[in-house]
Amino acid sequence: MSDPILGKARSKLRKMGRITLVASGKGGVGKSLVASSLALTSASRGYRTGLLDLDVHGPSVPRIFGFNGELLAGKGGLIPPVINGLKLMSAGFMVGRNPLLIRGESKFSLLSFLLAITDWGDLDHLVIDMPPGTGDETIFSLRVLRGVREAGAVIVTTPSSLSQSVVMRLISLLRGEGMRIYGLVENMAYINCCGELLRPFGSIDDDFLRDCGLRILASLPIEPSIEERIREGRFLELPEEFRSRMDELLDGIMGVR
Amino acid sequence: MHEWSLAEAVIEALTQVMEQEGARRASEVEIIYGEMMELELDILKFALEELSKGTPLEGSKFTFNEERASFRCNSCGHRWDFRQVHELLPEDLWVSEPDGGRESPIHFIPDLAQALMVCPNCGSRDFEVESGKGLRINKVILEV
Ligand SMILES: [Zn+2]
Repeated sequence: MSDPILGKARSKLRKMGRITLVASGKGGVGKSLVASSLALTSASRGYRTGLLDLDVHGPSVPRIFGFNGELLAGKGGLIPPVINGLKLMSAGFMVGRNPLLIRGESKFSLLSFLLAITDWGDLDHLVIDMPPGTGDETIFSLRVLRGVREAGAVIVTTPSSLSQSVVMRLISLLRGEGMRIYGLVENMAYINCCGELLRPFGSIDDDFLRDCGLRILASLPIEPSIEERIREGRFLELPEEFRSRMDELLDGIMGVR
Repeated sequence: MHEWSLAEAVIEALTQVMEQEGARRASEVEIIYGEMMELELDILKFALEELSKGTPLEGSKFTFNEERASFRCNSCGHRWDFRQVHELLPEDLWVSEPDGGRESPIHFIPDLAQALMVCPNCGSRDFEVESGKGLRINKVILEV
């Protein structure tokens, strides 16, 4: 007998206009920040957008958006809090600062429930902040998303940490599980110094792009002010240049047929 | 209160099975649910009946069995049940419902027990949930 919760999770996902998984080969490359900025940009452009935090061990969405209020539930399940028109959901809203020791099938069950009982309503775009790496959580997330045709992934990396083998492993995992990849996001790529672009960490090389058959959808500037804005609860005002790059990324994703 | 979304999930799963098996109706459906979900059976039953109206599931007999929750600590070996720790769940993280009620997040996602409980004997977070979470369709009798 099929699992009704998993079934419900999948049928909800199939109703989304587009699903963007934001993934990374390892932690610390700014994946959650890219996912949050992309979702915020998408909502501000008029797409009905949700942001789902599937990184259950290190949920970042509550901190980035500074939400620590109480969750509400209605007849259709958990009601995502709305910030600047963006609907948010994260297990972090429900566990607070408690560590989540969870393994194996329990993790899978948690992700299924989180997807199945969140009342998103109709969405044009669901952005998913994926767990980093190629561990259990990523595999379980992909299992839930298997066969959902509206879904595709962007892979966040940095020029410095383009430990290419790590990114390649993620690419083969995603492709092996039937997930299409929209392209790469190069984070912390450059500093705009009075119109001159400095690339302190170098660039992603063309050979690598050819090998993996992907293109760079957006190169993001190094913006130390973003961390500061998060600490001060001002994340919603994205710096101008960062915001323009996010617009390009969104166009790149929405333009995929 | 999320009994309605669970009922929808059950109906969707049953509809799929009936289509696969080419069944005309399902005379009997047995649902097993974990104690930690703290379901209100009256609402679940009503929701299932309402949602089956006008579908091949109309008139099916739904039966429910609760599976008791049990836990075992990996650090000290202590075992306990849900009732013993229910009062200790952190209240600041409860979810508010439209009728003014408040529920632990465990009611919505039983696997969150792993973050919201500790072993009542030694305080460890390293414990196993042996039973009592989730919801499954245990048995269904189809008429072809
Ligand atoms: Zn113990």
